[in-house]
Order: sequence, then structure tokens, then C-alpha cells
Amino acid sequence: MNNLSIRFSRLEAGYGIPVFSEGAVQPGKLTALIGPNGSGKTTLLRTFAGLLPYKGSLTFETTGEVREVSRIPRREMGLLVGMVPQQVQMAAPFTVYDAVALGRLPHRSRGDDRLVLEAAADADVEHLLFRRVTRLSTGEAQRVLLAAVLAQDPSLLLLDEPTSAQDPHQTAKVFSLLKRVAGSGKTVVAAVHDVNLAVVYADVFLALKKSLEGEMKDDVKGEMKDVKESGFPLASPVERLDGEVLERIYGVPFDPYVSPKGAKVWHTRVN
Amino acid sequence: MTAVTEKPSLADYKTALRGRRLQFAALLFCALTVIAFWRLSRGDWPIPVSRVFALLSPFLSGPERMTPEAIVVRSVRLPRLLAAVGTGGVLSVAGVVLQGLLLNPLAEPYTLGIAAGAAFGGALGFMVHSLWVTPSAFAGALAALWAVQGMAWRSSRGHLVLTGIVVNAFLSAGVTFLKAIADDRLGAIVLWLMGSFAGASPTAALWVWGAAAVSALPPWFWGRELDAVSLGEDRGSLLGVDERRLRGGLLCLVSLGTAAAVGSFGIIGFVGLVVPHLLRPLIGPLHRPLLFFAFWTGGCLTALADGAAQSLGELPVGVVTSLIGGPFFCWILLRQDGGL
Repeated sequence: MNNLSIRFSRLEAGYGIPVFSEGAVQPGKLTALIGPNGSGKTTLLRTFAGLLPYKGSLTFETTGEVREVSRIPRREMGLLVGMVPQQVQMAAPFTVYDAVALGRLPHRSRGDDRLVLEAAADADVEHLLFRRVTRLSTGEAQRVLLAAVLAQDPSLLLLDEPTSAQDPHQTAKVFSLLKRVAGSGKTVVAAVHDVNLAVVYADVFLALKKSLEGEMKDDVKGEMKDVKESGFPLASPVERLDGEVLERIYGVPFDPYVSPKGAKVWHTRVN
Repeated sequence: MTAVTEKPSLADYKTALRGRRLQFAALLFCALTVIAFWRLSRGDWPIPVSRVFALLSPFLSGPERMTPEAIVVRSVRLPRLLAAVGTGGVLSVAGVVLQGLLLNPLAEPYTLGIAAGAAFGGALGFMVHSLWVTPSAFAGALAALWAVQGMAWRSSRGHLVLTGIVVNAFLSAGVTFLKAIADDRLGAIVLWLMGSFAGASPTAALWVWGAAAVSALPPWFWGRELDAVSLGEDRGSLLGVDERRLRGGLLCLVSLGTAAAVGSFGIIGFVGLVVPHLLRPLIGPLHRPLLFFAFWTGGCLTALADGAAQSLGELPVGVVTSLIGGPFFCWILLRQDGGL
């Protein structure tokens, strides 16, 4: 199943805070979820995955059918959504093969070894297949979880900083893979800290504003108004992600750097 | 890092795994057979194994069933053996399920207060009539579980075990209180709490095996879901498992099994803790094979402990399992740096 789009409005995720006023995520594209620390990237991803209670509206739309996420049974969510969480340590000493094969659990089918091996190869963990997941490095464990989500083959893939523990080579491989997966009609949302990953690999970006939590006590209404007017969450094609937008998101000036081949990346201003 | 030159294929791995499991199953079957014949033929009145065979035949004629020899084997030793194997199996399965569901290597019926609840309920039942022991043990186990769950509902899993320890301490004090006011029933309560399979009736054995079926088969059926949940960090939910329902249902069944065991034969500690830890390094953490082997390994070890208890002059079997299980568990922990 493909072509799942997400729509949300006045979404109060988790236990009240933060508020995501309005937004949508389109299928077939790699969406980079960016924003400063504490802006609610993880909260938003976990809410998309149906792991948190929420107020407001959050819907999945597939081929004309609109469904409120809180009404979708857990079992069906397993077929619709897959997620690589930030915390990648696994509590039980499964082999990598077993951990990746668990991704097939929602499908209740047998003999999926071909899919499992393909997923392991795509995430570059094939050579670790019979190692215990508790004995892997953080980066390896992260890729095992990615492989499990690939084996799960959901319509919507959520990734919370999927390359936080990857070296530059693996980072490039993972994001090329995600771009390919998105190209095949999946909906892919990846939270990233490195804005240049968004610039280079993503199709669109969804930017969140700094947390309201701190200011909440002082001036709730003023701050809420401010968020509304500022247009966050901000969703645009990634080409629009320039120094001006980045400064609005992160509150520091950014300068462009141009590669010998003409590609532009961004870095906070260096004196 | 060691350089891996040749990559084992998945087929090789699966064949090797199947082979290892079959070997282990065969070994377990042999051990169970030997233990069974040891327990059935040895005792105050040694009966040769060949005779035991004949006496166990279901086609035994009516008058022959009434010989003292037949009664000893069929109505005394066989129920005792079955009770020990069933109880060991129930407690080990409970340990596997609790450790998997609660992501805590120290979880077992005792750390969660389930056994203490059963003991308190059972002791309370003793004050009324010995017939009330098992039902009120079950009520006690469920009440303890309900209290622990209720208190820890909104907090993390770590709290669940902490709450279990508090409830455990509270209920143990309750048992001591009951003992203090028990007067003439004190002896019976103390004997029962120490745990013993001596004098296990065929009904009690049957009851424990019924509880074994009820508390071991559903976890096996939901083995894959248990696998996902045991990885932690909402892996179960993300793979479409309703974690709350699975947890609630399986915890209930496991406390039923524990209550049946504790209610009939008293407190038999450490089996549920040691067996899963003993098996995980040998056959891995996948729950389906783990549950199967835990049941039979727990059964074998408990029957062995019961035999040892009997040959040492009818010691309480709970004392034997704790005396052997405690140090053994320390050894496992030290050897595996952390137990997992």
C-alpha cells in the first residue's frame, strides 16, 4: 500500500504541548523534519506513529479514504507505519536476523526471508546477520532498526535522526536509500539536525519553531499568536531552504558554501 | 574486530539452529525419563523399574490396581512427580513471560509480589478451611497484581518492579501477621509456606497441569508479539501489537498459574528466575523455543530438587531450590556481566 498523506490541524501532541497549528505530509517525497532542540520533532513523529495521545485532528489519507489516526486499530497501524526511534538500544539479545525478521510481524505471513535479506542488504547490515543486537555499535544497531522498518514495508516511514550515529559514508548511503524508498511511492519523514542533509537529499522540509514550553507560563496568548503569524510549522520545497529561512528557524545567521561543482550548502556564520 | 572471510548463509544458520534445538530437546527428554524412573522407583520402598513399567500400564487389571505396590506408584509417586514437573514448568514459564513483558531481567512471580499475594491469600484461606487455600491464593495473586499494576499504571516499567517489591514486603508482613495470630493452625501454614510436594494428591497434580496449559499455551501462541515487546522502546506497538492488552492478558494468566502452584504446594523460589537465565545463552531469546524449553527444563529441575529434598529426609523443596538457585543465579549473573 502506498500514497499515504498525513494532514494535521491544531494538533496538541503528547500531553498538551507543543501545538502544531497546521500541516501536511505528501507521499512519494522525502520530507525533512527540522527545527531547533525541543521544538517537538520527536513528539510529532511519535504522534504520527500513534504512540502518543493527542487533541485536535490528525488524519491519514489513502486513495480517497480519510481516517483519524486515533481510531485506527494498533494492529493495522503496524501495516501502515514504521519508525526508527532515536533510542536504538535493544533490550533482548536477538540476532540481527531475528530483529529484522520481526519487521514482518504485522504481515502475519511466513517465508519472508527474501524480503528480510533484501532489507538487511539495503541497510548494510547483511554482514552482521548472526550477531547479537546487544553486541553491536550504536551505528550498527541504528541500521538494524532501519532494516527492520524496510522489512516491515509500511506506507509511512518515520525516522528520528536516522543517521545520528552514522559515519559520513553511511549517512550518505542511508539518505540515498530513503530518497529511493520515497521515490517508490512511500511517505518518508526524517527528523534531522544537519540542515544540509535536508538540503541535499530531501524533497520538502517541515520546520518546527522553538518550544513554547518555556514561554508558556509568561505569556501564553501572545506566544501562540506569534507562532500562528510566523507561519510555523513551515512546509516548503527544499529549494526554499536558504539563509533567511534558516535564520528564522534557528535564530542564528547562516552563510552559503558552494562546492566545486556548484552545489550550495549552509553553515552557521563563522567569523 | 575479527575479519570475517566467509559469510554463513541463512540456510546454514537455520539448519544449525534447528539441529541445536533438536539435540537439546532430545537431551531434555532423556533427562526427564531418567528422573521419572528414578522418582517412581526409588523411595522408602524401592520398586524395580521393570515393575514400575508394568504398574503404570493403563490395562492393569482391577485387583492389581489395589495392591500396595500399585497404589504407591500410581497414587503417591506419580502424582508427586507430575506435580513437581508441572509446578516447575508453570513457574519457569511465568519467569520467561514476566521478564519479556516487563523488560526486566529480575522479574519473576516473586519480584512482582504475585507469589506473596498468593501466599497471603492462601494463608488467609487456611484460617477458614484448607479447601479455601487455592481459590483465595488466586484471589490474592490477582489482587497483588492489580495493586502493582494500578499503582505503576502511569509510570515507567521500572516502577512496576519497584512497586512489586513494596507490595511483596507488605504482603510478607501480612503473612507473618497471620502466622502470629494463627494459634493451632500455625504449623499447617508454616509447612505449606515452606513448600513441598510430599503428599501431592492426583487432584492437585491435575489442577497444576490445567493451570500449566492455561498459563503456558497463550504466551506460546503470542510468542512473536512477546518477541517484539521484549525489544523495548515501543517496538511492540510499532509492529502493531496492542501492548497494553497483551500485557494485561498474559500477566493475568501467569498469576493464575503461579497461584495454582503456590496454593497447592507453597512457595518454591528461584525456579522462575534461574531457568530463563540458564536457557537464554543456550537457545537464544526467541520466546517460542524459550517457553517450550523453559517449561520442560523447569519441570526437570524441580523434580530433581524434589528428589533431593525427599532423600534428605523430606526437606521443604522450596529450601532446596533457594539454596541451590541463589548461588547459581549469582554465578550466572557474574559470568554474563549483567545477565542478558
